[in-house]
Amino acid sequence: MLQVLLSGLSIGAVYGLVAMAFAVVFYVTRVINFATGQLLMVAIMLTAGLSKAGLPDWLSISVGLTASTAAGVVIYFVAVRPVLRFDRFSFAWLVSTLGVAIVLQSAAAIIYGPTSQGFPKLLNRDNLVIGGASITLQELLAIIVAVVAVVGFEIFRRRTLFGKVGMAISSDPEMASAIGARVTAYAVAAFAIGGLLAGAAGVLIGPITYANPYLGDTYGITGFVALMIGGIERPAAAMGGGLVLGVLSVGANTFIGSQASDWFPFVVVVVVLLLAPHGLFASGDALKRLASGIGRRTATLKGAN
Amino acid sequence: MQALDIAGLSAGYGRYDVIHDISLRVERGEAVALLGPNGAGKTTVLRAIMGMIKQRRGQISVLGTDVSRMPVHLIARGHVALVPEGRRLFLDQSVEDNLRLGGLHLRRDHERTERLLESVFELFPVVERYRSRPATALSGGEQQMVAIGRMMMSDPDLMLLDEPSLGLAPLAIEDMAQALITLRERGRSILLVEQRVDLALQVCDRIYVLSGGRIVEEGNSENVNADGRALIDAYLG
Repeated sequence: MLQVLLSGLSIGAVYGLVAMAFAVVFYVTRVINFATGQLLMVAIMLTAGLSKAGLPDWLSISVGLTASTAAGVVIYFVAVRPVLRFDRFSFAWLVSTLGVAIVLQSAAAIIYGPTSQGFPKLLNRDNLVIGGASITLQELLAIIVAVVAVVGFEIFRRRTLFGKVGMAISSDPEMASAIGARVTAYAVAAFAIGGLLAGAAGVLIGPITYANPYLGDTYGITGFVALMIGGIERPAAAMGGGLVLGVLSVGANTFIGSQASDWFPFVVVVVVLLLAPHGLFASGDALKRLASGIGRRTATLKGAN
Repeated sequence: MQALDIAGLSAGYGRYDVIHDISLRVERGEAVALLGPNGAGKTTVLRAIMGMIKQRRGQISVLGTDVSRMPVHLIARGHVALVPEGRRLFLDQSVEDNLRLGGLHLRRDHERTERLLESVFELFPVVERYRSRPATALSGGEQQMVAIGRMMMSDPDLMLLDEPSLGLAPLAIEDMAQALITLRERGRSILLVEQRVDLALQVCDRIYVLSGGRIVEEGNSENVNADGRALIDAYLG
């Protein structure tokens, strides 16, 4: 059981980082960047490519993370800002970010080829045994990075003036602008942070998955599912969704069957959306929401009978 | 130099103009009311001044600076502050955070920010009592005080208020009117959009009447009290 929990939390931390990347962008701009998974892929492919070319691992990773961060900003200027300037209530970003995702994926497939490539082992070689369960240092690092990301973001959001301006932009961008906030600068920062978080997820999962141009689809979808489970309104809730999804997926693989994690997350998200449509952690009280959701459903069923 | 000078302003939404060829001015230290019935275009005038909608023709100057093509945040930093209709506080943040956000562009001037905060608390003691409460926990009248306080925190040269009496109880309206009179007496320049003629005449030195997107009447509040009341009533219904 402890093994399921540790393995689930480590993979869940990666899902959570991708979900946070979605959520940070949505929090500030109300846009869902459907190329988030491809930002993860950019970091993985570039890190793997540079490492293969002989660069030290730390330098390859730094360049990979910088590239995914920069790519996030480019996506804002190429695929989001123009359509919002044309019509700020437009949903055209939905198609334009998907278009960018396809372009990035195809470009990576052309440059690196469609097959998987090696990724630096990093800390994946060393094991730690806790209470009979084993975890690699790479997996432990994923959990630590997730905790640092959530705590760091929440401290920034709640304790700094810039974070509070971000909250103001999130709740009323026009009014925030009317008090002097530079909404565009915050949008750029949100896309950059989204790119960095997705890139970090890529570097953390790379030693396990290896480098493949099509990884973006897999982790983009899983990250989005985690976002829906946790709640889209708060980045910390998105991370919570990732951790829950990770534990449930590993649990499904262990107790149901080795391929169960392919379909189980979608069952979970359907159940969660039925019982708590805003996500498990949207209001900060998952159990209360879940209980009230179950209560409502039961009452409805009784009424129907 | 005038606090606000609007000349030949036309603006609207989509392809349609809502206000046509508006010209008005607010002298420094003067309180001016913009009266008119629903749909007359009062809010559109304020939104155009703040740069929230693109104007099609005309010029808007604040203290001699042309702000016609400026983005909203630069107009705000250039010392124009707005209390919008419905207050639009940042409800998930505390009262004090809302106030401090109003003084965003003064964030490096801690002394001035603290002084402004004190002046808000002096004008609205109840706001100081509730400073750590979330803004959403306040009544409508208290939220309006916070909205006016947020506007004061930027130490603006020009204050724009959009129907501040809307949805408030009579006592809260009276408190709010007193606060606006105090601000006027302190030499603030105010453009007040209102539907309540009595409140506008109580607070302001001059009035403009807007109907169908055009200015149809202007004059001093005192004259209006004597002669023009019937005319305003005719326009406001």
